[in-house]
Amino acid sequence: MADHRADGDPTPRLGRGPIGEEPVGIVGGGSWGTALAHLIGGNDHPVLHWMRDAATVAEVNGHHTNTKYLPGLTLSPRVAATAELARIGQECRLILLVVPSQSLRSVTAVLGDHLDGGHVLIHGVKGFEQGTFKRMTTIVREETCVRKIGVLSGPNLAREVAEGQPSATVIASKYPEVIERARAVLAGPTFRVYGNTDVVGTEVGGALKNILAIASGMAVGLGFGDNTKALLLTRGLVEIARLGGHLGARSSTFSGLSGIGDLMATCFSPLSRNFQVGQRLARGESLDEIIAAMNQVAEGVKTTRAVHEYALANGVYMPITEGVFRILYDGVAPRKALASLMDISRYVYEIDPEFSGGAAD
Amino acid sequence: MAAKGPTEAAVELAINDVAFHEIARLETDRGKAARLKEWVDLYRTLGRRGADEKARLLGEITRGYASDIVGNFDPRVYRFATSVIPRGLRLLFRNQLADAGPLGLEQRITVQGHVADLKTLVQRGTVILVPTHSSNLDSIVIGFALDRLGLPPFTYGAGKNLFSNWLISFFMQNLGAYKVDRRLKNGLYKDVLKTYSTVILERGYHSLFFPGGTRSRSGGIERKLKLGLLGTGLAAFINNLRAGKPNPNIYVVPMTINYPLVLEGATQIDDLLKAMGKSRYIIEDDEFTKLGRMLTYAGSVLGFDGRMFLHIGQPMDPFGNLVDAEGRSIDPRGRPIDLRKYVEVDGEARHDAKRDAEYTRELGEAIGEAFMRYNVATTTQMAAFVLFEMVKARHPDLDIYHLVRLPGDTALPLHEVAAGLARLRDRLLLEAAAGRIQLSPTVQGETIERIMEVALRYFRMYHTRDLVHIEGERVLLNDMKLLYYYHNRLAGYGFERIFEPVPADRAEAPARG
Repeated sequence: MADHRADGDPTPRLGRGPIGEEPVGIVGGGSWGTALAHLIGGNDHPVLHWMRDAATVAEVNGHHTNTKYLPGLTLSPRVAATAELARIGQECRLILLVVPSQSLRSVTAVLGDHLDGGHVLIHGVKGFEQGTFKRMTTIVREETCVRKIGVLSGPNLAREVAEGQPSATVIASKYPEVIERARAVLAGPTFRVYGNTDVVGTEVGGALKNILAIASGMAVGLGFGDNTKALLLTRGLVEIARLGGHLGARSSTFSGLSGIGDLMATCFSPLSRNFQVGQRLARGESLDEIIAAMNQVAEGVKTTRAVHEYALANGVYMPITEGVFRILYDGVAPRKALASLMDISRYVYEIDPEFSGGAAD
Repeated sequence: MAAKGPTEAAVELAINDVAFHEIARLETDRGKAARLKEWVDLYRTLGRRGADEKARLLGEITRGYASDIVGNFDPRVYRFATSVIPRGLRLLFRNQLADAGPLGLEQRITVQGHVADLKTLVQRGTVILVPTHSSNLDSIVIGFALDRLGLPPFTYGAGKNLFSNWLISFFMQNLGAYKVDRRLKNGLYKDVLKTYSTVILERGYHSLFFPGGTRSRSGGIERKLKLGLLGTGLAAFINNLRAGKPNPNIYVVPMTINYPLVLEGATQIDDLLKAMGKSRYIIEDDEFTKLGRMLTYAGSVLGFDGRMFLHIGQPMDPFGNLVDAEGRSIDPRGRPIDLRKYVEVDGEARHDAKRDAEYTRELGEAIGEAFMRYNVATTTQMAAFVLFEMVKARHPDLDIYHLVRLPGDTALPLHEVAAGLARLRDRLLLEAAAGRIQLSPTVQGETIERIMEVALRYFRMYHTRDLVHIEGERVLLNDMKLLYYYHNRLAGYGFERIFEPVPADRAEAPARG
């Protein structure tokens, strides 16, 4: 007889492979990838960490440090680095993808040759693909045969997580196994892992907060205080939820860790790269100068363009994104863009339903 | 069984659920007072009955459902029927339908697409054919077409009400159709139905599922699919792996059917408009149950060079991956996929309700996209789309309800309609070249005048009044509801934008909140 009893079985049976000494794969040697490797190694799981740069591979394996991205930190001895992407697919079943949004497609296209339907892929990439406006899980789906895909997102400043400060993150996936397997290696005394099934909302929240981080940095750079920042964040969250609703996200996701949580951490922290971009723009530096001076990618710069173009083409009203776009790409002075945002004649708001609780429309 | 059977509480819950749904259903039916009383008595006394009694009751209900679904299906009769019935079917079509026109039915059904792949795959595994569904004629037309292609027959679940037409019932029962009673909403019935479907797939009987569940009432391509029955493909695949069968593969083949006119179009769209916002109801009696109406339809649709278009899409696996000509699953980058890995836990193929539901949801999405891609645009759909969108553009303040209730003398200038058709055709050619839709030969290759002529001829033929007629320089629209129905077949491709009035303030920045 067909086994349909499984339908009524309330306890999900997890497809957990033999844990033993199988390492967790991490793809991407930036600060967040390094922090995750260190965290998982600290939980006493072996980690195989892929990075492009051979010198960094040697440094991690020889000295347990990554001075470029997390200077001063001694990495867990359970982290081994490699420059061979194939090894990640061959040796690891659970793989975290932590590369810049515009590299994810090329990296997964190569990695895809070494993957099968039993692999679990979780990305921690906050952005959209330029030109196509595709989400990162869509890219993973298009470049591999893997279905057990998830997203990791939350208020996680890499250095604070690496230092073991109490933090939490969200893993979103339609497959319970993805959440459980990630939790099994990530959760520990200083790190909580929450599950969510709203993949779209989790990805949108993580990507769009970078735009607001730039705006927030600008407000601080212009010398404004907490009122202004609170205004930006509150209206910004409405804007995020509006786009999220348009893309099929659940509005409740935006009031969680991966929504407002991530927004607060990024916009209040001078550690955030996107915040720094905004702050320096406000002080009169040009975007090219700022980018040239940073050794890490500020995702918000590209996300702003992608989101602005999508919103324009699809009639989604996103005034803050538009303002940031004009500053970044049209050379409009931050002070002028802000004045335009505050211009009362632009608004028709006798009653604004979005303020009183409703998020997405 | 006794040792590892379900708990008493689970048995009671299952019976309770059946009783609850049966009482709710029978309460609205005056003629079923006795049955109602039985269920009410059972419902009230269930808690006091012993464990053995409950188990016996559950078994009895389950067996009742199973025998109702299976009907008198018998493998021996099936084998006999599959060799004899197609001949009878051809006879039926020749005598009853095809004689109405100059061409036989065979010439009227155009089958295109991945026909060769389908022929290969019925040898390599078990095939689930998933067509779009707009008419009860679909299963007959498909059955006929499959036979002409030299394919074995496909079993399928047909609404129980259809068995009331004796002629149809005769063919359906003998071709392995099983009965689906859509009035039964309880979980147990659905489980029995799914189990039946899983078992016949495991035993290698190719099946036909209409994944939209019922006929598309809007006339549009189904985008929201019923996943319950669809999931039995994956269940059967996993069972086949567990049993170590040599050909465990289940293939899912999407297919579209397009008619120039749809037999039940008028009732379907009426039902949709009535039921929107209210609870759904099932029409037990429509054009299909009346033989006379069917023959009028056949006579008019087949009266001249009318054609039906069947387009067979690229096969997929139960996970929604594409399958190549050899029956191998391939990923979006063309790499072969080992399907076993999707369902293995510790090296063994296993069921997992939540995971499998998600796989099936992804399959449903892939089928929905395939339906759009393999939809064949016909002249009537094209004309209805242009006419409806042009009227909509003239009444930007009206919603669908008001649009379909516009008075019968709504008119459009003929030359504007022709220009609209030309614009839509240009877009259709582009989309077809990009593989996003298919076109009928007339839509593909004839002049705009010819397309309009063919469409208008159809529109005068079958439905109780002419949908459209031309008076001098004016095109008069007599039935907005039916135009909406045929229009919907081309909805969802973004063609609406061709007819949108250009707002005066488009040049302005997107200000205002």
